[in-house]
Amino acid sequence: MTDISPAAPTVPAAMHHPVHVPSRFTKRMRIRFTGSGSEYFRIWIVNLLLTVVTLTLYLPWARARRLRYFMGNTLVGGQPLGFHGDPRKMFRGYLLVATFFALYSVAGKFSSTAGFIALLAVAALWPALFKSSLQFRLANTSWRGLRMGFSGSLGGAYRAMLPVFVPGLILVGAQSWGVDVAHPPQWYLTVSGVVGLSALLVSPWLYWNLKLYQHHHYTLGTLQTTFTASVGSFYRLSLKVLGLALLALVVPMALAIIAIAWWAPQGSWVPLLVSAVPLLMVLLMLVSIKPFAVSRLQNLVWSKTGSAELRFDSKLRFRSLLRLTVKNWLLIVLTLGLYWPFAAVAMTRLRLQAMVIKTRTDPNLLMAHVHATAVEAVGDAAGDFFGLDVGL
Amino acid sequence: MMLKATYFDGRSACAHPVHIWLANGLLHVQGDGVALSVPQQAVDWPERTRHGMRVAHFAQGGLVQSEDSAAWDAWAKDGGLVESPVVKMQQNWRWVAGSVALLVGLVMAVQQWGLPLAADALVAVTPPSVETALGESTLAAVDEVVMQPSRLPQDQQAQIRAAFAQTVGHQAAGSVRPWQLVFRKSRIGPNALALPGGTIIMTDEMVMLADGDTRLLSAVLAHELGHVQQRHGVRMLVQATALGTLSAVVLGDFSAVLAMVPVMLGQAHYSRQAERGADAYAVKVLKAASLSPALMVTLFDKLNARRAMGQSPDKPASDAGSTASWLGIAFSSHPQDAERIAFFQAAAH
Repeated sequence: MTDISPAAPTVPAAMHHPVHVPSRFTKRMRIRFTGSGSEYFRIWIVNLLLTVVTLTLYLPWARARRLRYFMGNTLVGGQPLGFHGDPRKMFRGYLLVATFFALYSVAGKFSSTAGFIALLAVAALWPALFKSSLQFRLANTSWRGLRMGFSGSLGGAYRAMLPVFVPGLILVGAQSWGVDVAHPPQWYLTVSGVVGLSALLVSPWLYWNLKLYQHHHYTLGTLQTTFTASVGSFYRLSLKVLGLALLALVVPMALAIIAIAWWAPQGSWVPLLVSAVPLLMVLLMLVSIKPFAVSRLQNLVWSKTGSAELRFDSKLRFRSLLRLTVKNWLLIVLTLGLYWPFAAVAMTRLRLQAMVIKTRTDPNLLMAHVHATAVEAVGDAAGDFFGLDVGL
Repeated sequence: MMLKATYFDGRSACAHPVHIWLANGLLHVQGDGVALSVPQQAVDWPERTRHGMRVAHFAQGGLVQSEDSAAWDAWAKDGGLVESPVVKMQQNWRWVAGSVALLVGLVMAVQQWGLPLAADALVAVTPPSVETALGESTLAAVDEVVMQPSRLPQDQQAQIRAAFAQTVGHQAAGSVRPWQLVFRKSRIGPNALALPGGTIIMTDEMVMLADGDTRLLSAVLAHELGHVQQRHGVRMLVQATALGTLSAVVLGDFSAVLAMVPVMLGQAHYSRQAERGADAYAVKVLKAASLSPALMVTLFDKLNARRAMGQSPDKPASDAGSTASWLGIAFSSHPQDAERIAFFQAAAH
């Protein structure tokens, strides 16, 4: 009936312990992704056509179909996830967020005061949108008939996200109060320097704070996850990524300097090489740093997510992700973008199948948490519209 | 027709093997300790896909699912469940190929005709005050990045302004949009820019390139006035925004960097069209003022001579190639210089 295989293949692990002292995560649930590139291509191209024909009004339906396909093909312990968000609800949210976003993007073009007010409005609304986005997505996702949920509070969302807006608000605010950026006064330079530096210093902490808010509040039935990664582990990872970025910056520079010194007499090569340097740098950054950061972050975040009954584990290898990223980029460029759905499926498969879930409880015994809350779809649209990655 | 399936009640994670069948608009679920009937409309029916199970969610919670997709699809068809036309399209390679073709054609048509038409309409309803505000913020931004106050003497500035006003004076009264001419010393070499709202910037370097010849400078300004007249500044903004949105919808979920490529290509296309429009207007203004369009050819020669000088070995190369092609409305450094020279030569005869 269930596809959960005991960790020890010969003897059922539960036999080693009395039933009422379950101290080890003895059952492993593998995650399998059964989606296919060619099928997602068909879904994607029809979605795209309808989206363009309807002047993007079809987007919520396209999004619902995409989520249904990806979740329906994600098997956890042999049972699929289900997405049952109502596209009509998502449409309302889409309209609201699109209006909001249009107003925001236009405001800054007119005056810095309008830009400041718009940023203030985004800062004030964004955490609430983010929270309801998580809530909507999870409340409409189920596994074995049990609805998932998100139990984070509104206050928690503001505590987790408002600090992110502080540096921007200070700088844009100063401009709207009449600081002339072309001839900045000394105090403005000092303030921007301090703000920029401290933003850089606290960003790993901010990100940890955000992940804590997300991963501390996922629920399934009566289970709720906790997040046990330390701030220090986020700082260590940031340093590694920074180191790799510096390497990507230094190596092409050094190459260029050597090349310029070598070719200087010929002259005409120099501008070509000089313009190739940033390009090479960007390529290196894109190709290696993102897979590195993504794989390490996924492993860090998900290995530290779990509850007393259940733990996630993620072993996503940098090398596999790098290889797949390079392959995807090449094929997407060669096919002028038509390979994208195949790439999306392959990427999802690699990232999902690197994870396992260990539990103490037989999944058959999980009980649902009785709760009935109507969740608005606004947040979901915001989460997608602004490219926020919600979920795995 | 009966189908073997698995039922989850939505309260516990326990799986129940059941049989399901459709009758009288109801879905019946029956198994060991399970017996319920759900109205067909209260079920979120799964769509046909080649991969993945079939899962039907009930509005009040709970679901039935089947791993045997083929059996489910046959059962659903037999029970009279209707499939969405979108699913039929998605599951048929002929429809998919048609969609690809249609999409490519549609995107090309939108880029070629749709966006310019939409831009026309939007530009027509844009109030002048909005355009002025845009022009002011653009001027502030340009001043901040590449411009310094002009070093030209005030009377020379007035002289150029007066000469151009006289040239434009031959146009029918009221047919010319209001314009203001300002001078700036720049880091972008000889150039002239038209901003939304009618402000034209001329760089000191352009005046020096023309050796202060007011006839040559009037020719440059006539071209820029063409941009003002045809409101290219707002048009560009409207087209860039629309193109950016379209591109983000089509490519954005893959890569924001890649989504920039069509925007840049499209902008280059629109900017070439705008240059042609402004050139044609310049010819009209010059001829009305009994000036030869060949003045523009002289200007191109001077620009080319300056460029050739910049590439000589004793000068830094960075100065030559960077003549501000990043501003779409820039006067110089367009790849189709030869075509434009030919156009002005033909107009001069």
